[in-house]
Amino acid sequence: MVTAATRFLARADLDRLLGALAADGRRVVGPTVADGAVVYDELEDPAQLPIGWTSETGPGSYRVAADGAGRAFDYGMPLTSWKRFTHPSVVPLSRSRREGNLVSVAPVGDSPPKLAFLGVRACELAALRIQERAMRAGPVGDPDHVARREAALVVAVECMTAQSTCFCTSMGTGPEVVPDTGADLILSELDDGFIVRSGSPAGEAIVGLLDLPLATSDQARLATDQVAAVRTAIGDPVATDGLPERLRAALDHPRWADVAERCLACANCTLVCPTCFCTSVVVASDLDGREARTERSWDSCFSAGFGRVAGDASFRPKVKDRYRQWLTHKFSTWWDQFGSSGCVGCGRCIAWCPVGIDVREELAAIAPVDATAGPVPWPMSPPPGRAPAPLATVMPAPHALAGVSQVSRETADTVTLRLDVADPAICAARPGQFVMAEIPAFAVPPISISRIRPDGIDLTIRAAGPATQALTNLSVGAELALRGPYGRPWPVDAAQDHDVVIVAGGIGLAPLRPVIDAVLADRGRFGAVRLYLGARTPRDRLYVAEMAALGGRVDLEVAEIVDRAGPDWLGRVGIVTQLFDQTTWDGSTVTAFVCGPDRMMQATAAALERRGVAPASTWLTLERNMACGVGTCGRCQLGPFFVCRDGPVFSVAELGTALVREGL
Amino acid sequence: MVAGPTPNPTALVPGRPRAETARRPRIGVVKFASCDGCQLTLLDLEDELLTIAERVDLVEFAEATSRRSAGPFDILFVEGSISTPEQADEIARLRAMSHRLVTIGACATAGGIQAIRNWLDHDAIRAAVYPRPEYVESLAEARPVADFVAVDDELRGCPISPAQLREYLVALVTGRRPQLPDEAVCLECKRRGIVCVAVAQDIPCLGPVTRTGCSALCPAYGRGCYGCFGPRESANTRSLAAWFERDEGDGDEADVGRLFAGFTAWSPPFRAVIDARGGPPRGVAMERTEPDA
Repeated sequence: MVTAATRFLARADLDRLLGALAADGRRVVGPTVADGAVVYDELEDPAQLPIGWTSETGPGSYRVAADGAGRAFDYGMPLTSWKRFTHPSVVPLSRSRREGNLVSVAPVGDSPPKLAFLGVRACELAALRIQERAMRAGPVGDPDHVARREAALVVAVECMTAQSTCFCTSMGTGPEVVPDTGADLILSELDDGFIVRSGSPAGEAIVGLLDLPLATSDQARLATDQVAAVRTAIGDPVATDGLPERLRAALDHPRWADVAERCLACANCTLVCPTCFCTSVVVASDLDGREARTERSWDSCFSAGFGRVAGDASFRPKVKDRYRQWLTHKFSTWWDQFGSSGCVGCGRCIAWCPVGIDVREELAAIAPVDATAGPVPWPMSPPPGRAPAPLATVMPAPHALAGVSQVSRETADTVTLRLDVADPAICAARPGQFVMAEIPAFAVPPISISRIRPDGIDLTIRAAGPATQALTNLSVGAELALRGPYGRPWPVDAAQDHDVVIVAGGIGLAPLRPVIDAVLADRGRFGAVRLYLGARTPRDRLYVAEMAALGGRVDLEVAEIVDRAGPDWLGRVGIVTQLFDQTTWDGSTVTAFVCGPDRMMQATAAALERRGVAPASTWLTLERNMACGVGTCGRCQLGPFFVCRDGPVFSVAELGTALVREGL
Repeated sequence: MVAGPTPNPTALVPGRPRAETARRPRIGVVKFASCDGCQLTLLDLEDELLTIAERVDLVEFAEATSRRSAGPFDILFVEGSISTPEQADEIARLRAMSHRLVTIGACATAGGIQAIRNWLDHDAIRAAVYPRPEYVESLAEARPVADFVAVDDELRGCPISPAQLREYLVALVTGRRPQLPDEAVCLECKRRGIVCVAVAQDIPCLGPVTRTGCSALCPAYGRGCYGCFGPRESANTRSLAAWFERDEGDGDEADVGRLFAGFTAWSPPFRAVIDARGGPPRGVAMERTEPDA
């Protein structure tokens, strides 16, 4: 902790502070009045500050007014949050090129400008910390975000007025600015100037340049009293004790449908929120698809497209699903993911909602303090209040080039690409992991690895949309770019000394094939091995010759079934669970690995449980709309999980009812 | 004899860049009841127009070429609403000879400004507009193309956005899915850092229920969105209309019927708001005016 004397900056000397920040090579960003609101923008002169302006906020309403007084920071919360500068609305990601068979992908990104953030409120300091944690909670930290955050010097300001929409006191984030929470300088505004404290060596250096007198104890007390009055004025509008648990027990509350009647799903709440970080990747290309660039831009769980996967199905078709996703993430599952609440109580979502929906009222109605605790839909693990996980190392996600050395057609719409890959990380992938597979100008889908070799991998791809169609159209010699391997692998080692049951539905066999390979490579470590394969029709079966060869081995059992078939099919017809419903093996010693369509996995998990297989020993892999692969875009969220980061492999016990619940 | 749907399997293979395929796709641009503004957007792609013209075969585009085609078309861009019996026949004929039919603009996708007549007495309107209404054959309602034939894709707006048209053409030529978001204008406003005119200035704005694609043009100039791109998915027009009409005690509640009765008035979510208020407001424009000279 930096302990520094409390100093005083006379109002007339505010330009000296801006000068000192400029002398440090920084552009100053701070509040200014534009278009009827206070916004954060670049400042060159203290006169641009909202001196003499106040604001009044309410649900769906924001008004500025001149009060004739001379204070610069008596306005309420601006529309913009600092994420505009730490997490810009559009960030270029990569440039790629395709020339014949040859592909190149290069990351792009400027070194960020050196900025000084002037006027950061206590709640906003908390938001900066929370968002940085979110951007660094995956296997790799987001380099753009971290570089921008590190290039910014933070001049915090204590709040001397309260807005009707404020609830920082409930969220434990303000209004006092506490040392060691990320501020380099802390200002407390009085009528004739500012109490100045430094919070870091960089801040201390600025104070040193200014050569300020010490503040008197009267000045310091006046500032403390004013902030204390703000705390009293705000009160404690949101009961946060036990809120994460109360919310997750209220997933079926009728109020979700009620708020959906009012909610426009316009996404404003998420975009003004200083911690919301979700993005989508946009691809642009020249007319021939040779040169392409990708960029990410702000997106929102309120957009239908955000929950959409190949085939245009959406995980959250209804507005009530989207509102529930947002509110439960902010106040409940954020704890699971990042070890804190996702809300800082700034009230922007209340003021900037075009129809004035007040999150405080919704919380009180949906998760009232006296709610009797219902069953929780998934295990609370880890519980709120745990120490947050360490921040991920920051490194750009590198692309590895892969060359197609063999193309095997599996079914009418599915092929297996044998890829030569020089990247040792990808060749060291573990069963169940996936890669992001890029052809310039196309969307970048996550693809499960279907075989791991010392010199490369296999990808088995079904043409479900144009991007996967383009991948299945590749021929021998073509290149593509890969990122990965990502995701949590199948826990093959956990099955040691157990019987192994593998259940695959259709293309679900692809991510399971590396499990089969791993088990057979060290067959003696496992008990009985049983492989149950389902497919829609005989023509939809994968790896037909390979599976037939496995069927000939004595050390494993292979059974097949198809949903429907013509007269030339001599095998069984029905659903895959019928293959083991009538068997007699003992489920208590089984570790099961399951992949297929969601409904097939739900039915299989239930059937396995009936056979005595423990939910903690039944493992599934989920398909969701992963766009980044590293836990920073938010698209693949499922309850408390990011499927890309925490999965895609989960045990049935971990998922709880998240597996069968609609609209998560 | 009417030509069948175009058999050109190589021209439009999803997932395969056009450059690898056999021939340039045959593209037509036609119009019905409309102002031509949307098809002119094609000419607005000035920098890339020549390149586009090399990649596609523009066989029918009256605003740019005197070449005419009897079809068939790989892609037919259709502007305008269907307002007359002849147009209803013609769109059916064109559909039969088009592999992919894409409606462009508010008239083709929602009925356009002329669809406001759908709430009014057709004969009275005709008599008000034409000196000899018996010579004018028109349908009682001006309706979107999708009410008559199957539509594969639509580009919204009044007029359509050059950026979206470019994206559509590029996606077509490269074989990928066009990125035409169906989300609210608000996302574009917030990405651009535009101050919300509804919240900060109490200006009625249809942005929350309107599909993006215009880069939030009107709010960028301090105006409310008037919905020319039509409803987005899940457009909760009822809630927004009720909010506009809330009584704040200042006596200046918005004229909600008029707000929604614009270029996409006939789209179902907007129409529901107008219907609930007894149809669009009738102003002086609806009254017969005699020419004085």
